Amino acid sequence: MTISRRNLIKMGVAAGTAVSIPSILRAQTSPTDARTVRMAMGNALSVYDPIWTATNITADHGLAIYDTLFSLDSKFTSQPQMVEKWNVSEDTKTYTFELREGLSWHDGTPVTAADCVASIRRWGEVSSGGQLIMARANEISKKDDKTFTIVLKEPLGILIDVLADLTPPCLFIMREQDASRPATEQVTTNIGSGPFKFNEALTTPGASVTYDRNERYVPRKQPSDGLAGGKIVKVDRVIWEFIAEQQTALAALQAGEIDFFEQPSADLYPLIESDPNLELQVLNETGNHVCLRINSLQKPFNNVKARQAILHLVDQEAFMRVMDPRNGRPETSIFGEPISNDENTGWYKKGGDPEKAKQLFAEAGYAGEKVVILDPTDIPILDNPSQLLAATLRKIGVNAELAPSDWSAITTRRAKKVPVEEDGWSIFITSEADYSLSNPLGSPLLLANGDNAWYGWPKSDEYEALRAKWADVNTIEDRKALARQMQHIWWDFVGDVRLGKYLSPVARRKTLSGLIGVPVQLVPMWNMQKA
Amino acid sequence: MAAYILRRFVSTIAVMAMVGIFVFLLLRLAPGDPAAMIAGKSATAEMIAGIREKMGLNDPMPVQFIRWVRDMLGGDFGTSIFAGRPVLQLISQRLEPTISLSILTMIVSVTIGVSFGILAAWRAGGLVDRILTAFATLGFSVPVFVVGFFLIYLFAITAHWLPVQGYKPIDHGFGPWLVHLILPTVTLSIPYIAFIARITRASMLEVLSEDYMRTAAAKGASSYSMLFHHALKNAGVPILTVIGLSFAGLIGGVVITETVFNIPGVGRLVVDAINNRDYPIIQGVLILVSGLYVLINLAVDLSYTLVDPRIRY
Repeated sequence: MTISRRNLIKMGVAAGTAVSIPSILRAQTSPTDARTVRMAMGNALSVYDPIWTATNITADHGLAIYDTLFSLDSKFTSQPQMVEKWNVSEDTKTYTFELREGLSWHDGTPVTAADCVASIRRWGEVSSGGQLIMARANEISKKDDKTFTIVLKEPLGILIDVLADLTPPCLFIMREQDASRPATEQVTTNIGSGPFKFNEALTTPGASVTYDRNERYVPRKQPSDGLAGGKIVKVDRVIWEFIAEQQTALAALQAGEIDFFEQPSADLYPLIESDPNLELQVLNETGNHVCLRINSLQKPFNNVKARQAILHLVDQEAFMRVMDPRNGRPETSIFGEPISNDENTGWYKKGGDPEKAKQLFAEAGYAGEKVVILDPTDIPILDNPSQLLAATLRKIGVNAELAPSDWSAITTRRAKKVPVEEDGWSIFITSEADYSLSNPLGSPLLLANGDNAWYGWPKSDEYEALRAKWADVNTIEDRKALARQMQHIWWDFVGDVRLGKYLSPVARRKTLSGLIGVPVQLVPMWNMQKA
Repeated sequence: MAAYILRRFVSTIAVMAMVGIFVFLLLRLAPGDPAAMIAGKSATAEMIAGIREKMGLNDPMPVQFIRWVRDMLGGDFGTSIFAGRPVLQLISQRLEPTISLSILTMIVSVTIGVSFGILAAWRAGGLVDRILTAFATLGFSVPVFVVGFFLIYLFAITAHWLPVQGYKPIDHGFGPWLVHLILPTVTLSIPYIAFIARITRASMLEVLSEDYMRTAAAKGASSYSMLFHHALKNAGVPILTVIGLSFAGLIGGVVITETVFNIPGVGRLVVDAINNRDYPIIQGVLILVSGLYVLINLAVDLSYTLVDPRIRY
C-alpha cells in the first residue's frame, strides 16, 4: 500500500485536530480565575430593594452593596459599623450617633446623616423592630452632616439591638433620594456604600448577578468578627449564578465552574463529602427551627387539648430523620439563642407519646373532623415532615388529609380563617432561623394576640402582657428571665409546636476559604478568598 | 396567496386574544399570591395586604383585565411585579439563549433525523434500519433530563471537555457560545431526531413503493437520484409538517433543558415567574409564544408550495 504525500498531510491535520479538540474545549471551560468567586445561590435575585421585600436573597444583596449602622459580632452583640461613636442621654431618651470618616456612596458622594435618617424612616414603615422605634420616637433628625439623633417619647432599652437586627428587612442605609420613597415603592438604583458594587452591565435579572469590589470602601480598623469589624474584600469580583437544578449545581461545583453552592439538599451530602475537592460547612451554627402551625380558630384545634395532643404526639427525632438526619436535633424552646431555655418542657418525650395524644384528642371531644395539612411539595425540608405528620396522625385515628401544592399557593390558603370544608386548613409546617426567634417583638411567629397573630392565630392575653414588657428590658439576664415566663405559658396554650432544629450547610470548593458564619440564612461576601 | 396570508394574520390576532383571556383568568383563579412572595416567608397578613393594595392586586378582576388589555393594545406588556422592569425588556434579555438553543437543535435534528429516516427507508428491513429504528424508539422514550445528566457526567465531569452549565452570549465569541450549547443541543435534539427520523422513514417508504419510483428504477436512475430527486421531494409535505410542529413545540418545550443546563432563557424566566406568581411575565411570555406558534404554522403551510407545486392558496 502506498500513501501519497497529500494524503499524509490530510491524515496529519486530521489527527492533530482530533487530539487538540479536548484541550480547546477544556480551555473554554477553564475553572474560574483566582480573583473571581462564583456562587450558586439558593434562590434567584429578582428584587433588588432589601426594604421592599424581606426575602433572604435580597437581604444578601443588601449585605453586599449597602452598609449598616450597627452589626452583630460572633457573640450576637451589637457593634458599631457605619457609626463611629454613639451615646445616650441620662434619661435614656435621646440617642446621638456620629458616622465614621471615609463613608461614601458608590457614585463617589459622601454618606451623610440625612441619608441615615431617611433610611431609618423607610425601614420603620415595614420592619417590626423599626415600627417599634417609630412608635416610640418623638423625633429622628440630623444634627450635622455626620451626626443624627433619635429622641424617644419613652426609653427603649433594645434600640441598638433593633438597629443591628439581622432578620430581614434589615436596616440597610440608602441614599436620601432613594430612601425618601415609600417602602412600598421599589428602589432599583443599586447604589450603596457597602464593600461591593453592583455591576448592572453583567447582570441578567433572575439568572446571574455580578458584584465588583468597591475600591473606595474604607473598612473599620477592628478585625472581622461575625458581621462586625472590618469588611475587607479579598476578591475582585463575585458572580451569583441561580442554578435551579440541584444536580446541575453540584456538577458545576465538582467541575470547578462554581466555588460555592448555598443550599445543597441533604441527599447530596454523601456525594459532596466523597469528593476530595469539596467541603460542607455550616455557616449558621444556630440553625433553623421547624415550626408546626396549628389553626387555633377551627375544630378540632380550637380546643387547647387537641393542640396539646399534637405536642405530645410529635417524635422530634423521627421528624429530624426525614429532614436533616445528619445535623438535626430536638428543640424544646420556642426561643432562639441566647434566650433559649428549658422552661415547661415536660411534654418532651423521646419517641413521642401517641397514647397520651390519643387521650388528649378524646378529652378534646375529637369526633373524626377532617384535619387538613398544607403540604409544600416544592420544599423538601417541609414536604417530608408534612407527610410524616399525616401518617402519624392517621395511626392514632385522626382523619388527616394532605393538601399538596407549591409554597406560593400555601401563602394564599394559610391566610384563610374559615373551616377546612370552605378551603381552610388545620396545620402547616414552616421554618424560622433560631436567631429570629430570639426577639419576640421582631418575629411574627412569637405573637399570641389572636386575630392579629401570625397564621394559626394563637391567643393568650397573659403571654401577650409579658411580651409587651420586652421592649423595656435592658439586660440579657432580665430578658432570659422574661423569656422563661413567656415560654411557660406558651407550652400550656400551645401557640405552635416545634419539630426540631436543622442546620443547613453550604458546599464549597476547598480553594474557597474565609466564609463568615452568621446566625441567619445570609452569606456575607467580604473576607472570603480563593487559593 | 396574499389574501390567505392576511386571513391567517387576522386569525393569529384572534388566537392571541383568546390565549390572553384564558391565561389572565387562569392565573387569577389559581391559588397563589405575588404579594406574599414579595413579603417573604414570615410576613404577616397585614404586610401582605398592604403590598396587595399598593400594587393594585385588590382591584376587581374586570378592572385589572381592562387595564391590562388597554396597556397591551398600546404595546405595553406590563411591568414585572418582582423585578420592577418592563416585561418586554426581561423577555428580550432571555430570548437569545432560547433562540440559539432552538435553532441549533432544529439544525441538528433535521439534518440527522432526515438522514436517518432516508437511510432507514432505503435499507428497510435490514440491519441499518433496525438499528436506526431502535435508536428512534429509545431516543423518543428516554426523558430529556436523564440524557442531560448522563451527558454532563460523561463529557463535563469525567472528561472535562465541555462545561456543565451556563450560557455565553454570541458577542462573547462564537467558540464559547458554541461550546456552552453543545451538550444542551445534543440532549434536546435526541427526541426530535427520533421523531423526525420515524416520520421521514414512514413517508419515504410510502413514496418508494409508488409506481413512478419503479419506473425511475427501470429507466436506470441512480439510487441518489431516486432518493433525493424523486422520493424525498414527494415525501416532503409530512416531513415539513413535523419539522414545523417540532420547531413550534421546541420554543415552549426548552424549559427542562434550560433548567438542567442552567441556561437563562425564556423557559427559565417563565418557570420562575410561575413560582413567584409574577402575572405580567407569564402573560407576556405565553402570548408571545402563542403568536410565534401560529406564525410558524403559517410558515410551514406556505412552505408546502415549495415542495409541492400543486398546492395553491
